[in-house]
Amino acid sequence: MKLTSDMNLIRTEFPILGRILPNGKPLIYLDNAATSQKPNLVINAMNDYYRNYNSNVHRAVHALAGEATEAFEQARKSVANWFGLPSEGMVLFTSGTTDALNLCALGWGKANLNSGDVIVLSEMEHHSNIVPWQMLAKEKDLEIRWVNVESESYQLDLDDYRSKVNGAKLVCLIHTSNVLGTRNPVEELVEIAHEAGSKIVLDCAQAAAHERIDMNQLNADFLAVTSHKMCGPTGIGALLISPGIFEQMQPVQGGGDMIIEVFKEYSTYQENEHRFEAGTPRIAEAIGWSAAINWMGKLDFKSAHNHIMSMARNAAEGLKKIPGIKVYGDHSKEDISGVVSFLHESLHAEDIAHMLDSMGIAVRTGHHCAQPLMRRLGITATNRASFYFYNTMEESEKFVNAVKTIVERFA
Amino acid sequence: MEKWPEKLQEIIDDFSEALDQMERYEMLFEFAEEIDELDSSKWTNETRVVGCQSEAHILIDFGTNGFHMKGSSDSQIIQGLMAVTAIALEGLTPVEVTGFSPNFVSEMKVLDTLTPNRANGFLNMFLRIQDEARGMLG
Repeated sequence: MKLTSDMNLIRTEFPILGRILPNGKPLIYLDNAATSQKPNLVINAMNDYYRNYNSNVHRAVHALAGEATEAFEQARKSVANWFGLPSEGMVLFTSGTTDALNLCALGWGKANLNSGDVIVLSEMEHHSNIVPWQMLAKEKDLEIRWVNVESESYQLDLDDYRSKVNGAKLVCLIHTSNVLGTRNPVEELVEIAHEAGSKIVLDCAQAAAHERIDMNQLNADFLAVTSHKMCGPTGIGALLISPGIFEQMQPVQGGGDMIIEVFKEYSTYQENEHRFEAGTPRIAEAIGWSAAINWMGKLDFKSAHNHIMSMARNAAEGLKKIPGIKVYGDHSKEDISGVVSFLHESLHAEDIAHMLDSMGIAVRTGHHCAQPLMRRLGITATNRASFYFYNTMEESEKFVNAVKTIVERFA
Repeated sequence: MEKWPEKLQEIIDDFSEALDQMERYEMLFEFAEEIDELDSSKWTNETRVVGCQSEAHILIDFGTNGFHMKGSSDSQIIQGLMAVTAIALEGLTPVEVTGFSPNFVSEMKVLDTLTPNRANGFLNMFLRIQDEARGMLG
């Protein structure tokens, strides 16, 4: 699908983009870093499952169970293929990136890290890649080292990273920042971690929506991904594990589907992905995610990225010209995502967000679950507009003009 | 429609007649300037309204003349809503405050929703005021 020439066609596939809000304004949705909108194909796939073959998976012998199981396991294969999972690697379904990182901490970290071991995080992390490790560190007496973010360039300090990773057992880093849009040099970060003898987990919540990630090529040990930021449904994501990791992990949740046999004295566990997916899995969500992947497969990602970047750059440059506005992130970079964080010197971010909402423009406000980064930048919150491929340059212009109007009228 | 005290009803009427939402925000910015301001040097953990995206602080007093509130916030919309709330509740007893509905904000057409689980600075502030009033009742 050629992006710019088929923009009208693309937008018609997302019914919500034609929404008129209760105040009569047409929706301009610029909160894509929080969650993306869903195309008809995804909505219809989930609808079809519930209407025509809703059933639990893996156990029953009836026809519906067979169809549901096939669709569910096919979804796992779609995810594996999309992310270039190495053969012998595994896709462990979770409820999202946060759940995936918690599974990594409890399933791998708890079984393999011991008192005094070192974990490396960065100041750029989302809370979901901080708190699970803090909890584990407290329980197992681990040392956490923090890699600095350079507050002028909005990049990780690579010299600091090289120094902190020395002697570490695990590195936990965000691939692409949800606040700054910075894409970290993950290829280099993985190589440095491995040279230092450390494993590395990458939080790819934002990145997966903006680029094709090839785990095989990237060579990371763990990838945490989510469906809902890449046009799939909420409620499902995955921890992708490289070959050999499965054997090092311990089950985190016990229950149905993850066992082979249960005795009064003990239980034996499945020897496949199901070991980490106790209970009825997220069947409709997996099917919806698979449909999203099929849909995204039709997109020209390079064109999409260029389109997103031109809208984000236009917004960043436009905002910088408005008196009192500071933009966070370096939008001159080629590989930044579609995030534009900004703050006005006197108007509170929440006030600006309320006013934009009254104009039909949806943006995010707050610390974006990245309080250590906020502290590094010396602020407590930002407004964040985040663009996706179905947005238009006209929307980017309207957004800048709306902020300009607000500042002229209220500052 | 609920029956509101006269002063509050006047405010609701003014807001309802505003041309659009931006004018309502402008009116709130004006109310924000009228509040009995709690100087930021007196902000403490005790005065802080938890659950606001902005810094919002209130100090409530039930003296011989009934309810009185000082407040301030770095969000002008929240501070404006504080000011309207202070006018609405001025002089009321703790029993009256605990029974007061926050729906006047909906009638002012300032906020579309008062869903408690949403980031909603106004509602968190209002519930905090009612908690303090309940505390006065023992």
